[in-house]
Amino acid sequence: MLELKSLTKFFGNVAAVRDVSLSVPDGAFLVLLGPSGCGKTTLLRMLAGLELPTSGQIVFDGQTVSDGDRQWQVDPAKRNSGLVFQSYALWPHMTVRGNVGWPLKVAGMDAAARTRRVDEVLAMLEILPLAERYPNEISGGQQQRVAIARTIAPKPGVLLFDEPLSNLDAKLRVEMRTELMRLHRATGATAVYVTHDQIEAMTMATHVAVVNKGRIEQFGTPQDLIDHPATAFVATFVGTPPNNIVPVVKTGWAGRLAGGIWASPRRWTTAWPCSGPRA
Amino acid sequence: MATLAPAPEPHIAQEGRRVLFRPGLVLKLVVLAILVVLIVGPMMGTVLSTLTPTAITAWSDVLVGRLAPNLFWWPLVNTMVIGVVCGVVCVLLGGFLAWAVVMTNIPFRMTIGVMATLPFMIPSFATALAWGGLFKNDRIGGDVGWLQGMGIDIPDWLAWGMVPTLVVLILHYFSLAFTIIAASLATVNSDLVEAAQIAGAKGRKILMGIILPVTTPALIAAGSLCFAGAVSNFAAPALLGLPVRMQTLSTRLFGMIEVGQTARGFVIGILLVLISALFLWLGNRAVSGRRSYATITGKGGRAKRFDLGTARWPLFAVAALILLCATVVPVIILLASSLAPSSAALFSNWTLHYWIGESTANIAQGTPGIWHNPDILWSTTVTLGLGLCVAFTGMFIGLLASYTTARYRSGWLSASIVQISFLPLLIPGIAFGAAYIAFFGAPIGPLPALYGTFAILVIAGTGYLLPFSVQTGRAVIQQVSGELEESARLTGASFARRMWAITVPLAIRGLAAGGILIFVKIIRDLSLVVLLFTPTMPVMSVLAYRYASEGFTQFAHAITVLILVLSIIATLISNRLQTKSQPWLKA
Repeated sequence: MLELKSLTKFFGNVAAVRDVSLSVPDGAFLVLLGPSGCGKTTLLRMLAGLELPTSGQIVFDGQTVSDGDRQWQVDPAKRNSGLVFQSYALWPHMTVRGNVGWPLKVAGMDAAARTRRVDEVLAMLEILPLAERYPNEISGGQQQRVAIARTIAPKPGVLLFDEPLSNLDAKLRVEMRTELMRLHRATGATAVYVTHDQIEAMTMATHVAVVNKGRIEQFGTPQDLIDHPATAFVATFVGTPPNNIVPVVKTGWAGRLAGGIWASPRRWTTAWPCSGPRA
Repeated sequence: MATLAPAPEPHIAQEGRRVLFRPGLVLKLVVLAILVVLIVGPMMGTVLSTLTPTAITAWSDVLVGRLAPNLFWWPLVNTMVIGVVCGVVCVLLGGFLAWAVVMTNIPFRMTIGVMATLPFMIPSFATALAWGGLFKNDRIGGDVGWLQGMGIDIPDWLAWGMVPTLVVLILHYFSLAFTIIAASLATVNSDLVEAAQIAGAKGRKILMGIILPVTTPALIAAGSLCFAGAVSNFAAPALLGLPVRMQTLSTRLFGMIEVGQTARGFVIGILLVLISALFLWLGNRAVSGRRSYATITGKGGRAKRFDLGTARWPLFAVAALILLCATVVPVIILLASSLAPSSAALFSNWTLHYWIGESTANIAQGTPGIWHNPDILWSTTVTLGLGLCVAFTGMFIGLLASYTTARYRSGWLSASIVQISFLPLLIPGIAFGAAYIAFFGAPIGPLPALYGTFAILVIAGTGYLLPFSVQTGRAVIQQVSGELEESARLTGASFARRMWAITVPLAIRGLAAGGILIFVKIIRDLSLVVLLFTPTMPVMSVLAYRYASEGFTQFAHAITVLILVLSIIATLISNRLQTKSQPWLKA
């Protein structure tokens, strides 16, 4: 179980994340979906332990790992989670084997076990033949696989992804999507995946949290979001094509379509508050 | 669902820690403490030492007393003349060369570009010594220079005083102006120029209307840096001006400390710092808000070069003449005069005596050649050791400071680290040396007085060159993306381990380059070490200066040649190191 309790993060006076609460069961694939600058990466960095929340708690498997109220947190390396960076952040001076093996070395694993585990992970991602290459000698898609291999090698219970597919071309992106889902099933870890691409969210997630301006607009399954969007924002952000918003004017207990809206911008704006969840 | 999950790690909850400090606070405090010891302490020490009841009269002596005109005001006039003339001429010369190299089709562009950066590698005392070897006349006695020896009568104004000082300083500092202006011109991309051409502007109009305004910040920066360098320069006025009693603030400061009037010396030093700080600040103020010009560049190809037409070769001749005077000529004169028994006959009777000769009573009062001269050999060891130590400590502290300010940018602590680490730029070397004597000259608590030790040389050199090491460190850190380091942090690696395994290997090229730069700067520095020099801890540049002042020019020149050779070797080694250290770049 992965649980966020009223998580809030301020940078100076700016609230990047406000009062976010949700929980997903073990093995879930949670996608944080939202436009750029909505706070989803900050949320992920708090999960990874790179940022300390201003208030609220993060709980992995019943154990609090970050507590903003007490300004207390477990070290990034000791919270049983792993992060795949958007830029991959491969260490350019280490070979593929070096990149995947170094975290294990830091964790104190002996050389023989390390080699075994690195080989196993590289084979799982089908990049074993590239083991002795440097990151600049392999393609973008292969670098992506190395980054994932490096993250799953220490067998974390929670896998964190920061827009991992955004640097790949369209075809590779679709392939890697499938690959990531396969890996997720194989490792059994809980995954938290940040993206602004609603197609990725809809195809991969078991749970989606739509984030906007630091708040969660809606939390549910992909099907929920399509069938029952909670806000106009969600309705326009998800689905292909997204929902149309039709302004209505409130008339007593019912409403009528706001006619002539194209001619009258003023009425367009007054009509907005009534565009309900099921518009 | 729960069955899918890996077994929860039992240890997590116990390993948490309370985050008492904002991240980076400890690091910031450590760096700030180092900077306080290296920079703030000595400066405060100097100021406070002039405010003690016995010393406070030094202020009135220097500023309004009977001796004030001689102590301060006339040297100030000389200093300002040197600074202003040097600043203006350096910008003109450096700007001309930069324009020719970056923007025109002048012949041998690349060669000129490389040659124009060399004069700054040649210490100004080397050029000043070479001037003496060429133009010295019989005004002060002793050996005359080559031209006088050839029968040409050299007037006093050309042999001594203001004119030769100016020429020597200009030949040294125009190279700095060139580097700054060329870098700025290189950012004027072809789009800007082509847009002006489409608008119908021709060469001259483009130069005055587009290129000049865009590079104004660089011109002002170059001018104020050359000004600050020239006013604080010690070697040139000391070698060419002091024999005819032309004093600048830096030679006055040196003289006061030499004769034991330290309070007056410190007062002059403080005033010198204020003057050069004022001009650098004014320069900075004039360009602030304009700097954004340089960063607005798209991809832009290489600018199409101005066709100089028939002026190509005449302009080339001018550029070549300037560069030959600034690089080749001084080196030839130094080398020749280290071989010639008399600088009046520079190219005859050459002997290796001054290099490898044993002591002979009839040559140079029995001073043996530098190969057999224990003083010079010891000073070479000290100088090399000093260069290595300062390069190491400088890059270490530079890396630490720039890492701290780059990764933990916010807060006033970071801001003060940046400000303090660039403070030494405002402080002339000789005033810095004086400050170190004031601060470390007496025992501090349980620590012994450091004056005359190797340690004070290393500490002073490290503090003095901190702006360069922080600058280099910053460039290096910016190349290593924060995420590379963050992903290492996620593995649980400690700060030291992350530095050692990730940041340093990635940055080694820049670190090596920065270290070598510091090494070269410190082994050819005279102004900082001239006051810290003691006979037990001699350094080569001061020894050369002493020999030159005592009339043993051949030894002075031989040592200077040695310093030049060491600088060149160091630069070559760094280039070699850089290509070898990064196999992953060779794909």
